[in-house]
Amino acid sequence: MTVTFILNGEDVSVRATSGDRLVDVLREDFGLLAAKADCRKGTCGKCLVLVDGRLVPSCMIPAFKIKGREVVTMEGFVQTIEYEDLRKGVEEAGLETCGFCESGLLLALGSLLESSARPTREEVLEAVSSVQCRCTDPETTIAAALAAADHRGRRTYRRGRQ
Amino acid sequence: MVASEIHYPATVADLLQLQRDNPSLLIYAGGTEILRERGGRFVDLPPVIALLDGISDLRTVNRTEGFVDLGAGLRMSEILAIRKRTLPEAFVRTLRGIATPAIRNLATIGGNLATRRRFMDTWSILACLDATMELRDAAGPRWVNVNRLADEAGKPAFPVGALLTKIRIPLEHWTHGVTKKTGNPAWPSAESATFSVIARIDKSVVDSIRMAWAGMTAFRFPELEGRIVGLGLPLDPPDRARIVEAFAEAAAELDPESAPRFALLVDAALELLGR
Repeated sequence: MTVTFILNGEDVSVRATSGDRLVDVLREDFGLLAAKADCRKGTCGKCLVLVDGRLVPSCMIPAFKIKGREVVTMEGFVQTIEYEDLRKGVEEAGLETCGFCESGLLLALGSLLESSARPTREEVLEAVSSVQCRCTDPETTIAAALAAADHRGRRTYRRGRQ
Repeated sequence: MVASEIHYPATVADLLQLQRDNPSLLIYAGGTEILRERGGRFVDLPPVIALLDGISDLRTVNRTEGFVDLGAGLRMSEILAIRKRTLPEAFVRTLRGIATPAIRNLATIGGNLATRRRFMDTWSILACLDATMELRDAAGPRWVNVNRLADEAGKPAFPVGALLTKIRIPLEHWTHGVTKKTGNPAWPSAESATFSVIARIDKSVVDSIRMAWAGMTAFRFPELEGRIVGLGLPLDPPDRARIVEAFAEAAAELDPESAPRFALLVDAALELLGR
């Protein structure tokens, strides 16, 4: 079957079987390697992507389910102004992530900041609970999220005044 | 591997017609349990699949004074985003304890209830709340209690050929409500189960109490719950022990392996209520 959807802002089509998972389509057909197929049970968080703005494990979505939807991978997210806010927050807090969880963790934080301008500590921990990697400590993750929220708040405030 | 035929019905009527034409149709909602069961690079799915995403009737929320109706196609995260105090607090807390936020962005309430192999996390709290479900089939719609999803032996008994379209939750006042998960917290295994208790306590007297268990089997014992009603809290230790023993015996008849864990949780619940 041919599946047409929006991938990182572009209209795309791909030939897929009913047995293909989104994560494999992204990696093998589009060469987008940030999402990684590991547990294939939706628990590890290494394959997280945004579908219609919602954070989801791409190993738990068959390709046919994304017909007509909008998918954003880490490769697309890094092109956004929202990622810039997050990057600054991550740098300021000294958050260092490993290559396995980085994409999922940053997308989880980006998704959180989209829904909550000033998240609480509990909300940050809840958001990153979708990622199982324990390479970084929770306090630094919280600090990064709050610093990113500050950057985002200042940027949107400035834009509002212009 | 079979190449499946995918359908995207727009209405419940279209879906029911598809089901009549294809008795082995796989109804695909969030798909979290379906894909988790089938690991590996390629997913082996049945020949005909119907995706529920396009059926708007399955995604509605209606609240009246006495109850709230949730469309079976609502995702857990969508239900959690419903305005505060629209839903019973114990139900909301149970949803928050299910899997991870990313999984809750996919998993639907209907899929959680309609799983055929075992009982999932929402059954126990919905059984306590006396929730009912709208089922539709060729004969039309009908409302049945969620307890009917378990047969007399406590095993899953989702009606063949029926489609779950709505869940109706009564909005009564409960002073206490707790759901406890046992076993693997991330994903259901043979050992994992969910225990829920809700109670209404008035001046240290039990006005009403309900307790339910959902794992490989599901059960609730209203007759035994009735024995606690009217008792003062904290319960006298001998009374508490007798009550726990009665629950353990009743559970052992249905599921001897789970009965000891169930009894421990009943005891913990009664102790908690007495604090």
